[in-house]
Amino acid sequence: MVPDSAHSTEIPLHRLQPGQCAVVRRVDSDGDEVQRLKMLGVCVGRRVEVVRAGDPLIIRIFSSRIGISASLASQVWLELCTPGHCAMKTPS
Amino acid sequence: MKDVSPNHGGVISAGVSRQRNYKSLPSLRPAPDQILTLALVGNPNAGKTTLFNALTGLRAKTANFPGTTYEQKIGRAQFDGREIVIIDLPGLYSLESAAPEEKLASDTLHGRLPGRSKPDAALVILDATNLERNLFLASQVLELDLPVIVALNMMDMALNDGIHIDIDRMRTELSCPVVPISARTGKGLADLRREITRLAEPAKVTDLPAVIRDKPDCGMGCGGCPFQARYEWTEALSGKVSNVAAARRSQRTEKLDEILTQPAIGLVVFAGVMLSLFTLIFWAAKIPMDLINRLFEVMGGGINALVPAGDLQSLLVDGVVGGLGGVLVFLPQICILFFVLSLLEDTGYMARAALVTDKLMRRLGLPGKAFVPLLSAHACAIPAIMSARIIENWRDRLVTILVTPLMSCSARIPIYAMVTALLFPHSPFKAAMLFAGAYATGIIFAMAVALVLRRTILPGGSQPLVIELPPYRLPGWRTALLHTFDRAKIFVQQAGTVILVISLVLWTLSHYPKSAAPERAVALTTQAAQLDKSGQTTQAEQMRVAADRLTAQSSLEHSYAGRIGHVLEPAIRPLGFDWQIGIGILSSFAAREAVVSTLSIVYGLGESGEDHPNSLYDTLQHAVRSDGTAVFTTATCASLLVFYILAAQCLSTSAVVRRETRSLKWPIFQIVYMTGLAYFAALVVFQVVSRFVQ
Repeated sequence: MVPDSAHSTEIPLHRLQPGQCAVVRRVDSDGDEVQRLKMLGVCVGRRVEVVRAGDPLIIRIFSSRIGISASLASQVWLELCTPGHCAMKTPS
Repeated sequence: MKDVSPNHGGVISAGVSRQRNYKSLPSLRPAPDQILTLALVGNPNAGKTTLFNALTGLRAKTANFPGTTYEQKIGRAQFDGREIVIIDLPGLYSLESAAPEEKLASDTLHGRLPGRSKPDAALVILDATNLERNLFLASQVLELDLPVIVALNMMDMALNDGIHIDIDRMRTELSCPVVPISARTGKGLADLRREITRLAEPAKVTDLPAVIRDKPDCGMGCGGCPFQARYEWTEALSGKVSNVAAARRSQRTEKLDEILTQPAIGLVVFAGVMLSLFTLIFWAAKIPMDLINRLFEVMGGGINALVPAGDLQSLLVDGVVGGLGGVLVFLPQICILFFVLSLLEDTGYMARAALVTDKLMRRLGLPGKAFVPLLSAHACAIPAIMSARIIENWRDRLVTILVTPLMSCSARIPIYAMVTALLFPHSPFKAAMLFAGAYATGIIFAMAVALVLRRTILPGGSQPLVIELPPYRLPGWRTALLHTFDRAKIFVQQAGTVILVISLVLWTLSHYPKSAAPERAVALTTQAAQLDKSGQTTQAEQMRVAADRLTAQSSLEHSYAGRIGHVLEPAIRPLGFDWQIGIGILSSFAAREAVVSTLSIVYGLGESGEDHPNSLYDTLQHAVRSDGTAVFTTATCASLLVFYILAAQCLSTSAVVRRETRSLKWPIFQIVYMTGLAYFAALVVFQVVSRFVQ
């Protein structure tokens, strides 16, 4: 499901710059709070955007905004969307 | 997350297989007189409470989930003459949530709660402006063997955001009734009621909709993300039924959040909001508090007039009316607190406040949301401890509950006022500084205790923050009022019961055994009678008042309470307290502020001392021990102040802690640690201050 080129460009969510768009590729850890994150939509295949960087940071997912501790965000790995390449459209 | 339902994959096919007319939905077939039970389920912030209130109004009752102390609201409604029971389940994002309260919601829907049968149907409320996420829960509920009605809420907001939803398409996709509503304005509610009554009608078609389970189980075991499949489905469905992607949403939330979630400005705004809240609590509540005080005075006066003087009168006036008045006087503050907090919550601001305070609170081992109970505790610890429920993680909640009563509640104000007046009678500035210092002491000790607890019995940091920041909205007054009413009721029941019992116990302790009036009082009474005969009634009256004071003082000294005070004296002597203060501390168990009136009696000012604080302070300032030394020295005052800041003296609070922690262990632990802390802090303060200040 993860395209070959993806691994090299994976970055953790807390490193994503505001305005950049990326797609969740994997979520490490399975703790209660990560489960909560997934319930809110931060799970594999979803597109996220950072609204405010920092700790806690604010992300946009679908049309909702979620505040997350940076420690949690560091467990969410993303593939960046680049001009001409939307990570969302990678075949799964 | 042990409780993963076995059909994660199922929903993917839902979009295809559910292509049937929702009209074939089987109606429940209860006998016409049978009551239909409807479970109301939805994401937090989807407007669940507003809808619940709109459907049931004041007929809702708060009850506990069987076997727990978690509350659920159950409302009855009559639609078309048919009785409907609506259960308001806690808001949740997924039926697989691990949070205890959310698990109860899911257990209710699954019919897994002991002694409670499955509801007859589920009413799923969705936020139309956030379909992609809200449909996640809906998809899970649709997989249960339950008839489902979907209420598409916030349609007015969606329209403002330029979101158009094809309701008919959604009905076919979900194969269940979908009713567009706006719970706040009441639009669409008539349609919703109609749809609910249809459920209860005798069935025309009997086949149950096939619950889609044709995909193999893919729980946590399949390696993939179990949420992924469902979210792919919700995104696809949202795209099919609405123009979410193309909609031009209002930028209001973004613009406001640029300011309100900015780390520095956000904190300043937070401080401003909370300061306004407290100004409101302390200023706006003053008039109703005075009214309540007066009401209880009038009631006491009425009883005095109706019931002949004696034990019964004293029991009714001092025990019952006095005890209840002491609690109910805080009701205005509590109502304002809950009302404003509920409004703030409704606007979406509370989530931002939790966000900006998170970093600060985290250093103490507390979550950002802990600011709600910790700040509320400055009014009263009881509602504050109840409000700790917003903290999902149990250990985080427990640490918060344990330190909350260290905050200076309103009941401490009379004591702070008394001590500051004794120490700095002529310097309002110094008095104000001392007052502020007392508040700061409570806060600092709460932080220290939180840190210690996090390094000892409840180790670890607070749970990392995950919080939804809902769009800013105008708050609903009705919801806030009903919420306030609800909380106030719990406060009166909880605190009222405990206080009544304790007041009665303390009344007994301070009125028995009976002792004869002291000689001087007898002499004064005799003199007064003589003066009466010679026509000097004013002087006679004064003497009688003096005699009454002496009698009250002496009877308290010889009562059980007085004896306990004497027994306590050796233990509290190192803190600079005498037996009189010992009685005061004892009486504080009914209500902290009771110490002021007790001291007023025990130092011979009579019960009127409370109404004339300045004469009380004068008396106390001149109170001397048998050896002629002053009682209220600087050291004793400072020690008394510190003791009252830190000691656990409110048994109503302990009762609420017991209720919220579902154990006796934690309230007892709390009483022991707080009283121990108070004792040692007061000891240190007295010993140090008495060395330096005479």
